[in-house]
Amino acid sequence: MFQILLKKTGSFLIIIIGITFLSFILSYLSPGDPASIMLKKGGNMVSEEVVQQKREELGLDSPMVEQYFRWLKGILKGDFGTSYRSKKSVVREITESLPYTILLTVSSLLLTMLIAIPLGLLSAKFKDGWLDNALRMITYLFSSLPSFFVALVLMYIFSLKLKLLPVIAKGNRNGMVMPMLVLALTLAAWYIRQVRAIVLSELGKEYVEGLLTRGVSEMSILFRHVLRNCLAPIITLTGLSFGTMLGGSTIVESIFSWPGVGKMAVDAITARDYPVIQGYVLWMAVIVVLINALVEIICSLLDPRIRRGRMSSDEA
Amino acid sequence: MKHKVRRQLIFRAALAALLLAGADLCRKVLPYDPFKTDMRSAGKPPSAAHWFGTDNLGRDVFSRVLQGSQTSLYTAICIVLIVFLIGTVIGIVSGYLGGIADTVIMKIITIFQAFPSFILAVAVAGMLGPGIINGMISLCAVYWTTYARLARSLVQQIRGETYIKAAKLCGASKWQIMLRYIMPNMIAPLAVTAALDVGSVILSMAGLSFLGLGAQRPTAEWGVMMSEARTYLQTAPWIILFPGLALFISVIIFNLLGDSVRDSLDARTERNSY
Repeated sequence: MFQILLKKTGSFLIIIIGITFLSFILSYLSPGDPASIMLKKGGNMVSEEVVQQKREELGLDSPMVEQYFRWLKGILKGDFGTSYRSKKSVVREITESLPYTILLTVSSLLLTMLIAIPLGLLSAKFKDGWLDNALRMITYLFSSLPSFFVALVLMYIFSLKLKLLPVIAKGNRNGMVMPMLVLALTLAAWYIRQVRAIVLSELGKEYVEGLLTRGVSEMSILFRHVLRNCLAPIITLTGLSFGTMLGGSTIVESIFSWPGVGKMAVDAITARDYPVIQGYVLWMAVIVVLINALVEIICSLLDPRIRRGRMSSDEA
Repeated sequence: MKHKVRRQLIFRAALAALLLAGADLCRKVLPYDPFKTDMRSAGKPPSAAHWFGTDNLGRDVFSRVLQGSQTSLYTAICIVLIVFLIGTVIGIVSGYLGGIADTVIMKIITIFQAFPSFILAVAVAGMLGPGIINGMISLCAVYWTTYARLARSLVQQIRGETYIKAAKLCGASKWQIMLRYIMPNMIAPLAVTAALDVGSVILSMAGLSFLGLGAQRPTAEWGVMMSEARTYLQTAPWIILFPGLALFISVIIFNLLGDSVRDSLDARTERNSY
């Protein structure tokens, strides 16, 4: 057990270090010169010597590896640099927008599950029935729809024609409905298919037949036995989506001006605010890696087969 | 059943080919210059003269949608071809060499895959700066890992087959084995992945352009057109509707084609195994 854990932690660390290096390289290779971006902000004319001085001050003249380690040292101390644009620290920028993204992510994932699990179950239960066919058709079409198109169509119907919801989210509860709906609809289309596939493969297993021959009712099999066994893969998928969505859905957030990290990143990119972009990329990658690890642990706790598997390898 | 799969594949491939050819040929029959602005006829709804209406600058939306098909579809096809080549080569090298090279390459792939895919694309495009080429590079950075992983596992799998050992015993050189025995057996699964990826690449590229990170104004590209038209959603929804539908229909055609390719190649591999 201990050895497995050690090995896992080792490869985890290597991945994290790789991520920091990749985030660093990205901004190192980017064509903009941070010194002149900082100085020439607002259209100021600055002489070449001043820019050069600033470069030295920022340590941009030293070799790449040295710059990387200096940057990494800052990161370890929790210093991700300062935004060129707002002069706030990158950590503050991120922690200010993250709650909005978490709120949007959690609520739209919940809504997705509420839609997808029952529909996926029904679709699998009545395989090749009219509901299954209709759902397969709809989800197929949805998977080919760009999220920004869905967003704009919903905006046109609900905000402009019916005047039910505000066009711009501004971070309040009313404004969250639209981005939540767009995310949940596009995600649910994918999840219904996944849930259907998971349930179908579970229904094909021998224990289902065994329960049927023992006279257990179909509904009881579906809800008490099959659904429970399907939970682990569904939780794995949800966890993965959770990680991805914490990166902020850049498109949906910026369409509805929802002040989450996705919008922050897009705004930073438009303003060529490199420290923010860099901090954002690093932050998100680390979160995703952490959540994936967490999902693995939760699943192993949920599933006695995996739990016991761990134990037996512990004993060996 | 098998006949039906093949007929479906031919039909869908023809449809996709028509779409691609149409994207090129339609340039010669555009009813209007897609870039010519005309403020007198700005923001007109669809009519006999302007089938899809005109946009806020009076440009003909129909002509722009047609012109945009070229940008949107050809860049996507290009990206898929590039990642197919790069990913496959890296995967083969990794799988064939093994040892340290393999470990390093696999770690690099894991690191790339640690990033949520669209976020990696946005980050790379954002760092490189907006532009259609940079948008393409950023999507390549996202998509190559799938091919590398797949090619690597295929090489490892095929290497152990008996017919490879037989070829070795017959005195075939490393290169001969690679090119004549391993490669042909790898193509099918990789081609399926590529066919299934086209639709999603079209969507991602349009998404990047929509965010202002891919193609730039005034290029006629569907994502850019929709992003430009956002402000006029209330007064001129047709500027968004038609590029959106064009995008939707193209993605469906390529997704259907991808499914057909998968079905028909799966059938073939099944037949071979018996």
